[in-house]
This record gives sequence, structure tokens and C-alpha cells, in this order.
Amino acid sequence: MSEDVTLDEVRRRAAVAGVTLREDRVEMVRRLLSDALAPLRRMDSRALRTLEPAVTFDAAPGDDHGRR
Amino acid sequence: MAGDDLVYAGIRELGTRFRKREVSPVELTEALLARIARVDPTLDTFVTLTADRARAEAKAAEAALLRGDGRPLLGIPVGYKDIYDTRGITTSAGSALWADRVAESDATCVSRLQDAGCVMLGKLITHEFAWGIQSPGHRFKPARNPWNREHIPGGSSSGSGAALAAGLCVGALGTDTGGSIRGPASFCGIVGLKPTYGRCSRAGVATLSWTLDHTGPMARSAEDCAYLLQTLAGHDPLDPVSSRVPVADYVGTLDRPIRGLRIGVPRDFFFDGVDGEVARAFEDAMSTYRSLGAEVRDVTIPSIWDAPSFMVIMASEAFAYHERDLRERPELYGDLLRERLVSGALYTGAEYVQAMRLRERLRNEMLDVLRSVDLLATPTSPKPAPTFAAMWDISLGFPRSNTPPFNLSGLPALAQPCGFAKAGLPLSLQLAGRPFDEATVLRAGHAYHQTTDWHRRRPAV
Repeated sequence: MSEDVTLDEVRRRAAVAGVTLREDRVEMVRRLLSDALAPLRRMDSRALRTLEPAVTFDAAPGDDHGRR
Repeated sequence: MAGDDLVYAGIRELGTRFRKREVSPVELTEALLARIARVDPTLDTFVTLTADRARAEAKAAEAALLRGDGRPLLGIPVGYKDIYDTRGITTSAGSALWADRVAESDATCVSRLQDAGCVMLGKLITHEFAWGIQSPGHRFKPARNPWNREHIPGGSSSGSGAALAAGLCVGALGTDTGGSIRGPASFCGIVGLKPTYGRCSRAGVATLSWTLDHTGPMARSAEDCAYLLQTLAGHDPLDPVSSRVPVADYVGTLDRPIRGLRIGVPRDFFFDGVDGEVARAFEDAMSTYRSLGAEVRDVTIPSIWDAPSFMVIMASEAFAYHERDLRERPELYGDLLRERLVSGALYTGAEYVQAMRLRERLRNEMLDVLRSVDLLATPTSPKPAPTFAAMWDISLGFPRSNTPPFNLSGLPALAQPCGFAKAGLPLSLQLAGRPFDEATVLRAGHAYHQTTDWHRRRPAV
């Protein structure tokens, strides 16, 4: 997958999200996205550990099971 | 005590002088209010000054001192970043959207400092909602850097950093989502601590990004940060991520020697694009640590180049927080902030999840490295403070920073002065430690301050 985000991709993503970008700011947003997404586009998501556990409970007596 | 010496004095020294009756909280508060009146019109650090309240609190502190009250923060004048709620006083978050918002109760951090006897001088300007620097024409003026007013003081705790450097308060509160305590500390030549995630409460503080936001102290020395943290730290039932880990003795362990302390220097990423002056100041600081008996060696964090995915998380969470207002009242957001926030809508759900998975791998690697060393050291910022003109020029992009990896990992990190560029702007060293080991981070900072005087330099304001 290419690491670069194009101006057209930014416009497509904005349309899908239902938001409007000022045309003179599209390049600024393209740079923000390019830098942020570069590590994701380099990664092999299959080689990463999962994001679990999603939930943990502390069952210590008197504790509200981790609720605060 | 001469005027400048008084307003730049540290917390321990002030406590001693209060109790010897060499100076009173009222005299100190009046000296600071007079200095604010003289200096702040050119720096714009305070967005709300609470002079009458400060005078009343200083008077009450003076009476308590006469009764023998021994609280270390009694009578210490502070300022609060204007995203901390303060009961009955406007909390604007530097935004037109909240320009007239008055909270009904204090943020937990504010109430802890007030309960400890601090004197509230006022609210300090923040970048808009802790992310968007105020551009020309914005409802609020941006704070300026006391070392050179054409340069930014850093952000988003811009007023806190600039006010401390200018001698307008003794301590301040900041917040740090990607470096907003450490950046202003770096650019203004002061000291700022981002504690471990969950160490200090976020209750009553405007959100930027739930999983990255931290609150913490800013001051002019590691010792003063230790005094403030001692009061701020501790479980708060009002903050769902607040930790129950016991609070250490930060002040009482400051003077322990650092001989044998192991400092790791991750060369990858943190030295990319670093100015020559910054690199030299950093190496000089490492030499100082070696002379104090610390062991300094290079370390490797294999996934550190994944750190820029930080922005996927921050922007997505920030958009989620602001979405309704962005869609219904976009005109009330500043020009630069609006586009940054909207960028958070452009990431997919899957990208957010993948960024969180990268974050977890990076955090685990940093914890692994911290099994073989006690601290990590890096330059806080790759370059000294840029000019306002550069920040407002969107074609130049967002400046790179060395601070976000420690928001991703939640590790405690301290920024402290370590030199000056030829242009007269401060340079800064970042020290990060193990989770909840703020005591070691502060002790290392304090040891450095005992042999250097960078943190004592004052701008001509």
C-alpha cells in the first residue's frame, strides 16, 4: 500500500465523513494524514498482538468490580 | 529580598522566608500583581486576573502562617491554565465557543492546590481547546515568549510557560496531550512534568483526547514541580482513569544521590532533524549526568518510528469530542483549529484500532527498555521556539516533536532547561521514567539543577 495520501483521497474521505474542508487547507490536512497513516501503511496487521483485553474486572472484596 | 529575587523565588525558599517573617504572602502577591500589570500587556499570559481573590487568599494565608500552619504550599501564588474549571470564574479554553462559560465547581487539581493554601492569581491563556494556536483576528490573543516576543512560547499551556518564565507566578497547572506541558517548558526555559497517565486527575478539565490527556505541574525547578505534584497526585473518584497506586514521597527523596542511575538515550527518531545547538546542549547534559555518577548509554526502541500514528488517535478522539459543535457552530472555532479537528473525521474506525495496536506495541517496548535503564533521555524539542510567522504559515506544516511517544506510553516525563541557542532562546532536556516513578524523574532533574544554572536564567521583560 502506498504510504502517501493524495489530495483526491483527502477529498474522498471528507465526503464520506460528511465534513467540509476549505480548499486552501486540503494540502495541510493531506500532510497531517500522510504522516499519521504512514506507520499504519507500513505495518503487517497480522503480525501484531491483539488489542485485548477490552475489559478487565477487579473482583477484590469490597471493590465495585473495577467501576469507579 | 529584591523585587526580581522575590518573584523568582522557589517554593521551599518562600516557605522558609514566610515563616521567618522576612516576607509575607501578601507582599509576594502584591509584588506579582504589580509585575503582571507592568509586564503582561506585552506578553498576554493571563486571560483572567483574579486580583481581589488573590489578595483575600494571601491575607488568609498570612493569618494561617501566624497560627503556625505548616503546609508547604501555603501562600504560594499560582495560575491555572484556562481549561481547568474554576467555580464562579470563566473557563474559556481559549475559545469563542466557551468565551462566557462559568463552571459550577473547581477541577480536582484546582481544588487540591486551593485546599493546600495556594493563592490563585488568575487563569492563564491556552491554545484554543489545547490544540489550535490563536491566529490573528482570534477572539483571544496568543501568549508571547518572554525570551523573544516574536517567537511562540509553545503550547498548548502557552500562558503557563510564559508567565513562569516572566516571573508572573510561582507555579502553574498545564495539560499535556502530545507535549502541551513539556513544549512550553522547553520553549520558555522552565520546568514541566507530565506525570504518569492516571497519576493526576483530569476531572473538571476540558478534554482534547481521552486516552492521551494528562494534567500536571509547571514551575521553574524540579523541586517546585515535586512540591506541586505532592499535592496534586492521588486517586480521584471523579476521574475514571485515576490510579489507586500509592503516592510516593517526591519532595523527601529529591536530595538522594543519583550515582549509579542508568540513563538510556534512544538515538532513533528523537534525534531526527535535531538542531546542532540542541544536540550539543543535550550531549553536555549527558556529560553532566556522567560527572554526577550516572551511567549513560544508548538504547533502542524498535517501533519508535510508529509514534506519528499518535495523530490518528488524538485527532479521532478530538473530533469525537467536538463533532456536534463543529457541525452546528463551526464559525465559533478558530481557523486553524477547525481544520485540524475536522481531520479527525477522515480516519476510519479500522485505522483508529490499528493505531491503538501500534501504541500498545510501542508502550511494551518502552517498558522493556526501562527494565535495563532507570530513565530515558532525549532533547525535548528538536529545535528552539519557532516564530509566530512560521506557526501561522500553514504551508510549513506542524513542527515535529519528541514529546508524543510519552503520551502514547503514559510514562512520566520531565522537561527542563539545558542551555540556550545563540539567538537567546532556551533549549531543553526530556527525562522519562517508569510508570509512577515520578520520584526518580524529579530526583534526576533536581540533581542536574544543583550543578547547572540554566533554570535560574531570566528573560529581560
